[in-house]
Amino acid sequence: MEFSKALLLDMLEKMVLIRRFEEKVYQLATRGVVHGSVHLCIGEEAASVGSTMPLEKKDYILPTHRGHGQGLQKGADPNRLLAEIVGRKEGLCKGRVGSMHFFDKDNNNLGAQGILGAQFPIAVGVGLAIKLKKMDSILACYFGDGTSNQGTFFEALNFADMWDLPIIFVCINNLYGMGTHYEDTCNIKVHQKAKLYNMEVKTADGTDVKDVYKKMSGLVKKVRKERRPAMIECYTYRFLGHSAFDNRPYRPKEEVKEWKSKDPIKRLEAELVQQGIKEEEIEKIKDKIEEIIKGSEEFALGADFPIFDPSMET
Amino acid sequence: MREITYGEALREAMAEEMRKDEDVILIGEDVGKGYRGCFGVSTGLFEEFGPERIIDTPISENTILGSGIGASLMGMKPIVEIMFADFIGVCFDGILNQVSKINFMSGDQFNLNLVIRLPGGSGGGTGPHHSQCLEGIFQSIPGLNIVLPSNAYEAKGLLKTSISLGKPVLFFEHKKLYKLKSGVPEQEYAIPMGKGRIVQEGDDLTIVAVSYMVEVAKKVSEQLKKENGVNIEVIDPRTVVPLDTELIGNSVEKTSKLVILEEGPLRGGIGAEVAAIASEKFFDFLDYPVKRIASKNTPIPMTPSLEKEVIPTPERVVEEIRDFLGLKKGLLIKD
Repeated sequence: MEFSKALLLDMLEKMVLIRRFEEKVYQLATRGVVHGSVHLCIGEEAASVGSTMPLEKKDYILPTHRGHGQGLQKGADPNRLLAEIVGRKEGLCKGRVGSMHFFDKDNNNLGAQGILGAQFPIAVGVGLAIKLKKMDSILACYFGDGTSNQGTFFEALNFADMWDLPIIFVCINNLYGMGTHYEDTCNIKVHQKAKLYNMEVKTADGTDVKDVYKKMSGLVKKVRKERRPAMIECYTYRFLGHSAFDNRPYRPKEEVKEWKSKDPIKRLEAELVQQGIKEEEIEKIKDKIEEIIKGSEEFALGADFPIFDPSMET
Repeated sequence: MREITYGEALREAMAEEMRKDEDVILIGEDVGKGYRGCFGVSTGLFEEFGPERIIDTPISENTILGSGIGASLMGMKPIVEIMFADFIGVCFDGILNQVSKINFMSGDQFNLNLVIRLPGGSGGGTGPHHSQCLEGIFQSIPGLNIVLPSNAYEAKGLLKTSISLGKPVLFFEHKKLYKLKSGVPEQEYAIPMGKGRIVQEGDDLTIVAVSYMVEVAKKVSEQLKKENGVNIEVIDPRTVVPLDTELIGNSVEKTSKLVILEEGPLRGGIGAEVAAIASEKFFDFLDYPVKRIASKNTPIPMTPSLEKEVIPTPERVVEEIRDFLGLKKGLLIKD
C-alpha cells in the first residue's frame, strides 16, 4: 500500500487532535473541572486512527470505555464531546453521562461502554440489523485485551460466525487490564480466540499508524464484500494510567521507556521529516489543532450545566 | 366475541405487527423452525415470516438479549423471547446496564423499541429454576416498563402497544395462562401503558392483583362473596411500571381496605411498593393496615406438597383475607 504525503499528514493531524484532546481532558481532570472519571488513550493514537480511518461515514462503531479517540476519529465534534465530559447541556448526550458513556448517533457511534464486554452482544444485534436491512455498512466493535476474557466475547464470535455478520472486532491491546498484565489472565492470545471461529484475523503494530491502517483497510474491504466477521489485534501502550489518577506502580520503568520510544506521533513525524516534509508544516498542523482544542475548551466551559427535568424519571 | 387463548393472542399480536412493519422480528431459543417456542406461542410464525424474522439462536442469553439491543439501536423493533423468565439472570447486565439506560444515557438520541418476553410463574412442579415471578426485582431499575398481562385480551393489546413504545418493555407472561381462553375482538385495538382496569367492582375490599393472580382474585372473590358476603373490588394494574396509582387510590377511597396479591416473593415485591405508595398517598382512606399476599420467601420447590405451601393458592388467599377481616367461615362481613 502506497501512503501519499497528504494521507500521512492527514493521519498526523488526526493523531495530534486525539493527543491534544486527551491532554486537555487530563488537565481539566487534575484541575477538578471534570466531575467523573476519565480513561485516556494517550499513546494509543495510531491504533485509534489507523483502525477508524478506513471506515466510512455509513459504517458503525461501538467504542470502549477508553473511547474518545475512536469517537473523535469517527467524526464526533470535539466541542460537544468535551462539553459532555465536563457535564454541560451542549454535550453529545445533553451532559448527562460524561466520558465513559457517550453516544453520537449522527456519526453512527452507538455508544461507548462502561461495562466491559457488554459491547459484544450489542455488536451482534447491530450486525444482524445491517444484514436484515441489506445495508452496505459494517461495524467496528472495539475492545481491550482484558475484555476478551468475558464469556460474551465468545458468544459474539460464535453468533457473528454462524449468522455471517459484517463485524470487525478491533482489539486495542495495551497490555494491561487496569493494573493486571494480559499474560497473567489468559494463556491464549486474543486473536487466536477469534481464529477458532473461522474468521480472518490480523495483528498490527499499534504504534505504527501505517501498519494498522493498511491491515484494517484490507479487512474493511473484505468484510464489506464478503459479509463475514473479522478481527484485528493492535499492540499498543497507554502512556497514562487506567484512569486520570493512577500512578502506575505496576509498570516496570524499562517497559515504559521502551514503549515511549515508540510514541506513535513522534514516529510518524520522524518519517515525514525523513520524506522531506518541512518541520514548519508539521508545526502548522499542531498550531491548527491547538486552536481547535482552545475553542473546544472555551465552548465546553462556557456552556451551562443541565437542569434536572422530572420527565427523566421513568 | 370470539374466544382465543392467551398464547394465540400473543401470536396474533406479533403476527399483525410483523405484517405491518418489516422491522419487527422475533429472536430467541427455539422460537422458530423446530420447537415454535417452548410453549408453542410462535406456532406458524416461522412458516409465515421465515428464518430472517423468526430467528432461532444458540443457547446464549447474553447475546440473545444483546441482539435485540443492537437491532433496536439500529431502528428495528425486536421482540426477544427468554425461554423461561428465570433465565434472565444469565443476561442481567443487558437489562440492568444497557436497555434500561440507553434512552437516558444517549440524551434521547435513541428511543429503543424492544420487548423482552418472559414466561414465568409456578404451579407445574418446574422447581426453583423454571417457576419464578421476577417482576419485583426489576421495579427498582429505572428505565424499564414492566407489563403483566392477565388474560388473552390483555396479552394482545399490551403486546401491540409494547412493540412500538419507544421504551424497553419487560413483558412478563404467565405459563398457567397460556391455554386460558377469553374474548378478543377481531378488529384492531391496543391498551395504553399505565392504565389499569377494574376487573370487578365491589365496596368492601380492594384486591390489586397482577398476572395469573387476577384469576385467583376472581375465584377468591366469588367464594368470599358466597360464604362471607364480602364484595371485593379486583384491580388489575396491567403495568406495574408505570403504575396507575389513581385507579388504586379511587378504589381504596371506596373500600378503605387494600390487599395486594402477587405470585413473586413477599419481600420487596410489587405488594411492598404498592403498600408504600398507599401509605404515602392514601393513608386517610385506609381503615386497616395494607395487606400483602405473595409467595413465601423461599425458592419455589418442585414437590407439590411444598409448592402449594409457598405460592399463594386460592385456599391460602381465602384464609389470609378472612384473617385480615377478622372473619370465620360462614360469618358475614355485615354481621
